[in-house]
Amino acid sequence: MLLHDTRLALRSLKRNPILSLLMIVTIAVGIAASMIAMTVYSARAGHPIPWKEDKLFAVTMDTRDEGPPPPGLPLRNYEYPPFTLGYQDAMAVYRSDIPRRSVVMYRTGQLVMPERANIKPFYVPVRVTTADFFAMFDVPFRYGGGWPRAADTTAEPVVVISKYLNDKLFGGVNSLGREITLGGRQFKIIGVLDAWMPHPRFYDLSGGGFDLPEDAFVPFEWVRAGKMFPQSISCVRRTSRVVNFESLFTEECLWLQSWVELADSAAHARFQDYVDNYVRDQKQRGRMPRPLNNRIVNVSTWLDMNNVVGDDTRMQVIVAVAFLVVCVLNTVGLILAKFLSAAPIAGLRRALGATRLDIVRQHLTEVVIMGLIGGALGLILSFGGLRLLHALIFSRGLETSDNPARLTLAQSFTHMDFSMLLLAVVLSVLTGILAGIYPAWRIGRLAPATFLKTQ
Amino acid sequence: MIEMNNISKVFRTDVVETHALRAFSLRVEPGEFVAITGHSGSGKTTFLNVAGLLEEFDGGTYHLEGQDVSRLSDNERSRIRNEKIGFIFQGFNLIPDLNIYDNVDAPLHYRRMPAAERHKRITAALERVGLSSRMKHLPSQLSGGQQQRAAIARAICGSPRVILADEPTGNLDTTMSEQIMELLQSINAGGTTILMVTHNPELAQRAHRQVHIVDGRIDQIHHFGTVQRASAAAGASA
Repeated sequence: MLLHDTRLALRSLKRNPILSLLMIVTIAVGIAASMIAMTVYSARAGHPIPWKEDKLFAVTMDTRDEGPPPPGLPLRNYEYPPFTLGYQDAMAVYRSDIPRRSVVMYRTGQLVMPERANIKPFYVPVRVTTADFFAMFDVPFRYGGGWPRAADTTAEPVVVISKYLNDKLFGGVNSLGREITLGGRQFKIIGVLDAWMPHPRFYDLSGGGFDLPEDAFVPFEWVRAGKMFPQSISCVRRTSRVVNFESLFTEECLWLQSWVELADSAAHARFQDYVDNYVRDQKQRGRMPRPLNNRIVNVSTWLDMNNVVGDDTRMQVIVAVAFLVVCVLNTVGLILAKFLSAAPIAGLRRALGATRLDIVRQHLTEVVIMGLIGGALGLILSFGGLRLLHALIFSRGLETSDNPARLTLAQSFTHMDFSMLLLAVVLSVLTGILAGIYPAWRIGRLAPATFLKTQ
Repeated sequence: MIEMNNISKVFRTDVVETHALRAFSLRVEPGEFVAITGHSGSGKTTFLNVAGLLEEFDGGTYHLEGQDVSRLSDNERSRIRNEKIGFIFQGFNLIPDLNIYDNVDAPLHYRRMPAAERHKRITAALERVGLSSRMKHLPSQLSGGQQQRAAIARAICGSPRVILADEPTGNLDTTMSEQIMELLQSINAGGTTILMVTHNPELAQRAHRQVHIVDGRIDQIHHFGTVQRASAAAGASA
């Protein structure tokens, strides 16, 4: 019966080609708009490390001064404690033995002096971090590995470099044991990363989080030994100022990300107590005047707190879906007109023995087919639209970049994966059914005799 | 075969009530050929629609082959239309974008009949009406007479017990009308009951009985012949 209905549907579509095309294009445009918005949303809303959702936690403490929020700052954000810690507090967290792993880190930029004369010196983003970084975030290595915990306190001159840097400096060969000049100092390469692109770069969301990981990773003690200034500092007390390098360690200024890996919920509870008790102790010493507001949050909550998806992206999806609804409503009118114009044939079929369900099913099949054709066309339009978005927005300025990972990152925003393709098919069928259910029901309810005399 | 007692049918709008059938009673025997006549608006087509279960009625009783059809569900009415009743219309009512074969196939499809059985019936019906060579043609490629013959093939392919024909020759010239009439008489001779609405008194006289309707009531009944027992018992045949 489905085959029969499909044949009838295709014939019916051919009977009014212009009207059919109009309906298909209406559905296609609605689906294309939705798919483009949802693809961009999906790229931003993905979980970068779902298998560690209940293990990884960002650590925050409310170290701010008392008083109302500064003008212009969204209140939602003001509820949250700052997303970075000062040196003293970060080290207190790091000293706890409750976490299985613990990381204190920040981002900086350093000049690389290549050995090869044909490569000019260039800046690379560098992460100064404690040793657990690689194991905690499941960073893949191509060659070698990270450094031992002891290297964090002795400023050992070792470095882990990215695949890009290894490709650029050493042509992609195994460079373990070789040295690079970073910020004027020699570092021995002990690890080379494989392609790694957490999306978003959740462990440090400064600048929005949609950027590549750093190209060099050095032990944490290099903050002092190398005087590697952080890229981002925010001072949370009115009297605090960073006037020189040493004031990074003494002033109430925030520049360190702190992450812990906890074994289970009991460990989380104990660690929360540990942080709360530390803050209570600090209050007694005249610091942290605000009420307790220490949040130890998993990656999902962390991304939400940082509004990684972005209100604009959410709004785009809402507008696109609303547009699809408008397209569906327009299609309902067109389908109703089309079906009613063919009502005599439906009446004839009823006279010949078709039940109401037969008629409704036959007409629904037609709109579902129309939805699928509209969906296929919508997908083609989506691919075109995403390519355009990629060219106009996401890949702008990449022409000069020699890092292929940047292009991959840019493409990830407009890449339609299998789940999105599946969503497009579901959306097409759903659109067809929603647009056609009322007209099909109406045509099924018509008395069979109504149009027979006029057919 | 058909037994209607005191059937009434009223069409209502906001401002007017039209009594299309009033205390309409009629008994039709199996194998009978009954011509229904009357002026326009007298209720002929309404009677045919009620008889064909295309329209419900407001009062009275209607038994088709002994079955009370007044309380049937819509699905049961569809099944009876499909299995027991064949329709022939003045305007042929063929589906324009289906070829003749597929047009004849339509009622069999709704019966969920196996494809082989359908094919056998369709070819037999088209052969009977002389359209074997036209089965792949679209209705628009056929003459009016051929289209009506295709409609007759569609009506008889399901071996219905009764055929309801609403002015089947109304759109045809004299020669074509004669051919269609002969075809209907031949089908009736095979035992299929036929109720035919017509304006043509000559065609009406070729039926066993003429029922004349005025204002939704039977005004006169004329008998022209009797049903042959043998053919009445034979049932329908395609």
